[in-house]
Amino acid sequence: PTGKWTNKERVLIFSSRGINFRTRHLMQDLRTMMPHAKADTKMDRKDKLFVINEVCEIKNCNKCLYFEAKKKQDLYMWISNSPHGPSAKFLVQNIHTLAELKLTGNCLKGSRPLLSFDPKFDKEPHYALLKELFIQTFSTPRYHPKSQPFVDHVFTFTIADNRIWFRNYQIIEEDGSLVEIGPRFVLNLMKIFQGSFGGPTLYENPDFRSPNMHRREMRLAAAAKVREKQMVKEMQKGKKTSAKEDLESDVTADVFLTPAEEKPADIQTEAPEPKVVKKKQKAFKRQRMQMLSLHRNQYST
Amino acid sequence: MVIGSKTMAFVEEEALLGQDSEEENSELSDDELQEAFAAGLLKPGMNVLVDKPKKLVNNVEGLKQCLADFRKDLPWVERLDLTNLPAANIISQAEEKASAPAAGELDADDDFQREMFFYRQAQATILEAMPLLNRHSIATKRPEDYFAEMAKSDQHMQKIRKKLISKQMIMERSEKAKKLREQRKFGKKVQIEVIQKRQQEKKAMMSAVKKYQKGMTDKLEFLEGDQKMNKESSQGSKKAVNKKGPSAKRKYKDQKFGFGGKKSGKKWNTKESYNDVSGFRAKIAHGKGGKKGKGGKQNKRPGKSVRKKMKNRS
Repeated sequence: PTGKWTNKERVLIFSSRGINFRTRHLMQDLRTMMPHAKADTKMDRKDKLFVINEVCEIKNCNKCLYFEAKKKQDLYMWISNSPHGPSAKFLVQNIHTLAELKLTGNCLKGSRPLLSFDPKFDKEPHYALLKELFIQTFSTPRYHPKSQPFVDHVFTFTIADNRIWFRNYQIIEEDGSLVEIGPRFVLNLMKIFQGSFGGPTLYENPDFRSPNMHRREMRLAAAAKVREKQMVKEMQKGKKTSAKEDLESDVTADVFLTPAEEKPADIQTEAPEPKVVKKKQKAFKRQRMQMLSLHRNQYST
Repeated sequence: MVIGSKTMAFVEEEALLGQDSEEENSELSDDELQEAFAAGLLKPGMNVLVDKPKKLVNNVEGLKQCLADFRKDLPWVERLDLTNLPAANIISQAEEKASAPAAGELDADDDFQREMFFYRQAQATILEAMPLLNRHSIATKRPEDYFAEMAKSDQHMQKIRKKLISKQMIMERSEKAKKLREQRKFGKKVQIEVIQKRQQEKKAMMSAVKKYQKGMTDKLEFLEGDQKMNKESSQGSKKAVNKKGPSAKRKYKDQKFGFGGKKSGKKWNTKESYNDVSGFRAKIAHGKGGKKGKGGKQNKRPGKSVRKKMKNRS
């Protein structure tokens, strides 16, 4: 059943230089899952971010997912509606890609997803804006030439612990049995901007701690522990070496002491006589038995 | 920098709290302070610099405005989005546990609970979406003959399958090993029990016999009693054992080597055995066989007396 493709959404998915293999695989997986996505070469981090808007225009895309890797450790994700905005920056954590053997589900390449949101998305204005952004970015347009007409998987976005958790499940039965396909990741919101990759800040996440600060805190905590241990050790050493206080002498302690009677000292000048040890004459066993029986006979008769 | 003026009592508390902003006093020159004092901005007493609390942007109005501008009014068919709470937790209902905490208290660190929450959220979405999809005649089930590229290659799916199977095998093997170990222990226990029972029976029997011999009892019932009990118990146990009969291994060996079973009554001189001439070898009977051509036993064992002589000699 063909129809006209009217919802012209195109998403540009690309990254900066310095990403690691996991990020690269995540990007590839997202491109696989979203047939309305386009790829581009890596961007140099020296360029300012608003250059991305021009790249989007060249590629004729109106949404963008940009992955930025810093220090080869932290991954940030920008999601933006180009060219007028809004856009948001997240810290990405807990990435699991399609290739992991524990994620056993599978789906058609390019099939349209169902999107499932937590009701918490409707409660706060910043979450409501993010929800709209996710819907427009992640849902595959109907009748897209590369899409499959079946709906066989579902993306879930849930809010827990002030983060957004993303999961992708395959629909096996219509009664709701699911298997996870992947990929999966966690988004930690940092800021929402009014423009695309710039503009006034609309929202800043108060609970967000940058990974650098987090690492610093861990290091400080460890250092504080070590210092405390050292201090305790030194205090113990000090206690040992410091002079002990004299106990106050108790005046009444000697009241009930009675000195022992003196015994006359008996000094022996001559050695004592050696003891005479009598040796027992024990008869042999047979003889003993004979004597015993003799005894018995005597008494019995 | 904001200069906050405080009274003396407050100042001490601040100092104790360790505000290190006092060093920044040096940036403000004395002249400026004098001017500020003259203007009435500063009050007498210790003035301490206080950091402005960090203001986080939460432009609610701006957010709403932006959303209104940005929102696209697409029909649901284009978006396929749903917002819902997770479906009822069947497991916790069955166990009648105190119901799992509401979404607000979802513990992100309890992995199982968290993943079950996501799973149930997806389930609820599907249950709600199915009728809607049917109404818009969007198919969810792929027909059997529809072959198309999948997100994960077939090769990859095979790898996954192999891994699952190997995991299962490992578990089964470990289960088997555990069971064997348990069986061995159990068997040993049973063996010890049987031996002890036998010893006790023997003891009882002997003591009963001795009693009779010494004339303490003149009843001979212990003999019969034992026999009765033995017969019954042996029959009972034999009945149970005989159900299975000889094992398959035993049967096979009997079949192959053929000498199992009742020996008594096998070598009677019956009509059949008399008429059975299968063991007749004509050559040997007429003396023409000759001990397999005189290559049979070349080392024939000498007799007893000869052997004794040999022994005594050496």
